[in-house]
Amino acid sequence: MNRRHLWISLLLIWSLAPMLWQLISSFTTTAALVDGAVPFVQRWTLIHYRQLLSSDPPFWRFLLNSTALASASTVLTITLAIPAAYGLVRLPQRWLRTSRALIAGAALFPYVLLFLALLELARSLNLGNSLLALAIPYSALSLPLALLLLTAAFEGLPKDLDDAAKLEGMSLMQRLRWVLIPLITPATASTAILVFLFAWNEYPIALTWLSRSDQLTLPVAMARIAGSSVYSVPYGAYAAATVIGAVPLLLLVLLFQRQIVSGLTNGAVKG
Amino acid sequence: MSLTLQSVGRRYGDTWILQNLNLEVGSGECLALLGPSGCGKSTALRLIAGLETPDEGSILINGEIMNGVPPDRRRVAMVFQSYALFPHLCIRENLNLGLRIRGVSPEDQRRRVASILEVMQLGSLAERRPSELSGGQRQRVALARALLRDPFVYLLDEPMSNLDAQLREELRPELKRLVLQGPQPVVYVTHDQQEAMALADRIAVLRNGRIEQIGTPRELYERPETLFVAQFIGRPQMNLLHQEPGLILGIRPEHLRLDREGLPCRLIGREWLGAGQQLLLECSAGTLRMLCDGTVEPGNDLRVSWNSSNEHRFRSDSGTRLS
Repeated sequence: MNRRHLWISLLLIWSLAPMLWQLISSFTTTAALVDGAVPFVQRWTLIHYRQLLSSDPPFWRFLLNSTALASASTVLTITLAIPAAYGLVRLPQRWLRTSRALIAGAALFPYVLLFLALLELARSLNLGNSLLALAIPYSALSLPLALLLLTAAFEGLPKDLDDAAKLEGMSLMQRLRWVLIPLITPATASTAILVFLFAWNEYPIALTWLSRSDQLTLPVAMARIAGSSVYSVPYGAYAAATVIGAVPLLLLVLLFQRQIVSGLTNGAVKG
Repeated sequence: MSLTLQSVGRRYGDTWILQNLNLEVGSGECLALLGPSGCGKSTALRLIAGLETPDEGSILINGEIMNGVPPDRRRVAMVFQSYALFPHLCIRENLNLGLRIRGVSPEDQRRRVASILEVMQLGSLAERRPSELSGGQRQRVALARALLRDPFVYLLDEPMSNLDAQLREELRPELKRLVLQGPQPVVYVTHDQQEAMALADRIAVLRNGRIEQIGTPRELYERPETLFVAQFIGRPQMNLLHQEPGLILGIRPEHLRLDREGLPCRLIGREWLGAGQQLLLECSAGTLRMLCDGTVEPGNDLRVSWNSSNEHRFRSDSGTRLS
């Protein structure tokens, strides 16, 4: 038992220490960041946060951009993935297996390789510098993973339930609305969070598609802070930006952690 | 109301699950589909419900051809072996959902759900989820949902196979009163011959996707047309004796009697069941099961015989009945 506690503590330190470091750095004065001799009581400041929020455009603007974009990507992905997953599960076994292999391949494909082609597309379709248009490539890139998770969820439902609903006189849409979608809620929630995370963290496509400063997403904006000066790295401001960018995600995960865990293990164990 | 199956066939790939199935179930009649697992009896139900489509033949409900009519328009109620209650809804919502979908007025919904909850003695459980109910209670909810469907045909797929024997006996009269008394044809799938005999007006014995014999329980018991039916109907199983080449003689255990003039036997096993007992005997023609009164004390010199009117004769090659 004690051994296990030790391992868990080590793991927690391993994964949480960098975050803690960032948190502390964000409240530390620029001088104290590079000089350990500054006395403890004089190290602390809110200047980095004040700077971030008073810059032009203010940093919360990027937070808003990212929230809007990640939400739009999530809604679009889930709306497309649920009917698609249901359709896949009702295919004959052989086809389902083949399509699942293809989808897994797509999910594993390193999407960074696509960013030039996507940029070309954005240019020819005039989608550059339009924030919400990014939801299109984002949901396309998240769909494979969403499909894998949701087909597993639909497969985990007893077929009798769908059949019973049919005999109750329900059409396909009614079955989805009243029986199937409510039953896969945990899987949907965990899928949604993963898609949201992806959209929230995505960097290369956002970097190339967006250039107007009021359209930037958080990762791009943060990178701009880091590279804003040639002669110094603004560690404090950068840390504060990281903290602000992480807080909404932390809240989201804490709020839905039960659904995430049960959704991810869905279909792993056949009851 | 009526249900008709006309030379219905269903196959998966090259294997026929059901072939040339002809059935006619009249108003208020209960037909049991009886057979071992894998004989196609559940597939027959799914075809009638429209959950699968036949590869051959047609299905008629009230004289109307159902080919191409989707299951949600067939007005067929089915009780599933797994009950198939919606796990995310409480009992009241489980019963109400179908009514609401079918456009019953809210007032009617309330009234009908309340009355069925009362009839099935489920009132105190109305707000519980299916997972909080026992097997017997779930079974009653599934039955209540079927009753609320107000169907043209009832389909029951081994509705009691997940319940223990005692509960089954308790539910049987309830099932009879609620479902089997109505004017709707009922198709009852089971592998339990006792249940089929107790509930059904007629029984169709299925084997490898074909009807082996169809008739009233009494007909099947008294005049089985094949060896398979003879062995499937009646417990304990019929004794089969190979006395002459090409011929198998069948005698039911309950038709054997002790007789000083009869066939000499040796007692090799005995199961005492209270009112009766089952004796396992060995004679020159093979082993015999015999049912007799519980008070009989079998002695050393056992001799048994039977009336020739109780004999069933089958061809040993095809298993079909002779005479």
